[in-house]
Amino acid sequence: MTLVLSIVLIVLILLGAPLFSAIGASAMLGFSGEGTDLSIVAIEFYGLAETPVLLAIPLFTFAGFLLSQGGAPARLVRLSEAALGWLSGGLAIVSLIACALFTAFTGASGVTIIALGAVLFPALVASGYSERFSLGLITTSGSLGLLFAPSLPLILYGIVANVSIDDLFRAGIIPGTLMIVFLAVYSIWKNRHAATRKGTVSVAELKSAIFDARYELPLPLIVLGGIYSGFFAVSEAAAVTAVYVLVSELLLRREIPIRDLPGVIRESMLLVGAIFMILGLSLASTSYMIGIEMPQRLFEFVSPYIASEAGFLIVLLLFLLVVGAILDIFSAIVLVVPLIVPVALQYDVHPVHLGIVFLAAMELGYLTPPVGLNLFISSYRFNKDIAEVYSATLPFLLVLLVCVLLIAFLPQLSLFLLF
Amino acid sequence: MGRRIETALMSVLLLGIVALATLQIILRNFFSYAIFWADDLIRLGVLWLAVIGALAASRDGRHLAIGIVPRYFPASWHKPAAITAAVFAAAITALLSWQAFRFVADSYRFADTVLGNLPAWAFQVVMPVGFCLMSYRFLVQAVDIIKQDQ
Repeated sequence: MTLVLSIVLIVLILLGAPLFSAIGASAMLGFSGEGTDLSIVAIEFYGLAETPVLLAIPLFTFAGFLLSQGGAPARLVRLSEAALGWLSGGLAIVSLIACALFTAFTGASGVTIIALGAVLFPALVASGYSERFSLGLITTSGSLGLLFAPSLPLILYGIVANVSIDDLFRAGIIPGTLMIVFLAVYSIWKNRHAATRKGTVSVAELKSAIFDARYELPLPLIVLGGIYSGFFAVSEAAAVTAVYVLVSELLLRREIPIRDLPGVIRESMLLVGAIFMILGLSLASTSYMIGIEMPQRLFEFVSPYIASEAGFLIVLLLFLLVVGAILDIFSAIVLVVPLIVPVALQYDVHPVHLGIVFLAAMELGYLTPPVGLNLFISSYRFNKDIAEVYSATLPFLLVLLVCVLLIAFLPQLSLFLLF
Repeated sequence: MGRRIETALMSVLLLGIVALATLQIILRNFFSYAIFWADDLIRLGVLWLAVIGALAASRDGRHLAIGIVPRYFPASWHKPAAITAAVFAAAITALLSWQAFRFVADSYRFADTVLGNLPAWAFQVVMPVGFCLMSYRFLVQAVDIIKQDQ
């Protein structure tokens, strides 16, 4: 019976039913099977109003959307180019760094490819990088900053796994940098024979670019400095970011007319509403799973086959690659994390390390068919066939896969900055 | 009209939350003072924002979904798939609305309070109402798809 209902739910999801409806249905089915009063689902959903740190999600999302509306993306590219464009493979490295920074602030929701790709893709091609390489690079960069504060998936993981978000912010620094460095080295090596045009060293241009970005430049310093030094709590940093972006983009720069503000709020809160809907209902489904000791059962099921931490990590990575290819990162976090955290603890995997491995593996999910978000956004934005985007992205995907393996099997990369 | 109300409500809620959270930070750091109900009100504001945002996402068809069918199956499948999905979502949100209503009714009966001594049901009522409107949205979606035939 349970099996039949599960299959029905999966079919409904494949037909396009919203994920929250399937999560809500499975929670209600589970509870009613146990004879629990179904108003528990509403009580659990109300838990959204009892989790203080959730505030960070709407505020960071709004600030990120607002930031991507005006000229901030172009100024970020200009500044990175003035600072690094003279290096060999400079513009490729500029793309990686600019995209990573931007994604960290906008929450890996596909905004990066749309906002920065429009500037970077033509610039890369004009500088002599092949169209195929540029396409792959931009598509990959669209989710690159995921491991850096204050990215939305990091915050959501902390909430769902009940792990200190500050610790996660610290843990992501080295693994996130590793990904950028590996992709940069690959980009340089790949283009070693190509006649790419380098920028020239110009102090005047650098000064002018810094002046141009004078309103945005302090933002990462305030937010990251505030969070990493412990001066701000995460939700306070989010409030400061929202106010800062509102004041700088709307009042000082006046690039975004005030009358456009409700539109930006609507767009960003649509995403927040969609995330909170699955989060709220998964609070209910998770409480049911914990009630029937699902994590314990899962552990008992796998433990005869998996003896060591390394074995667990290998199976976990394979599992996450499949999950990442099917589910978006937010749904994957709220659905999968509550089940695997207790299991991982039994294998002595540190929850913070697990979080970084989880998100790093999910980053690959943005680039794998059938539903890799970045593939579709790129295909749509640059008007390329999806198969072409996929094959252009494949080498980058393999580079990232190596990074994910390193991150998984060298816990020190994640935990070094924690202790 | 409905869309405008959603957008207006979300704007007021979000900007209000930003203002209140900022005020709290300023008071805490410079005046060592905190408004005692502010954090609770912010949390309830986030709940409202979540439900109204989800309602807006229902109107615009922007909920997180997988939807393999529209991408990988022949066109003749698209309509029946979309109708089934929308009707299912309508049924689930209707059920959620009913359960949320029972939750709020209990809260009313037991005279639960928030923010000091305000009635909790007045803040919780966004859940049953929001889910109910979402259910209506999904039904409208299903009807719209069926109508496309004619």
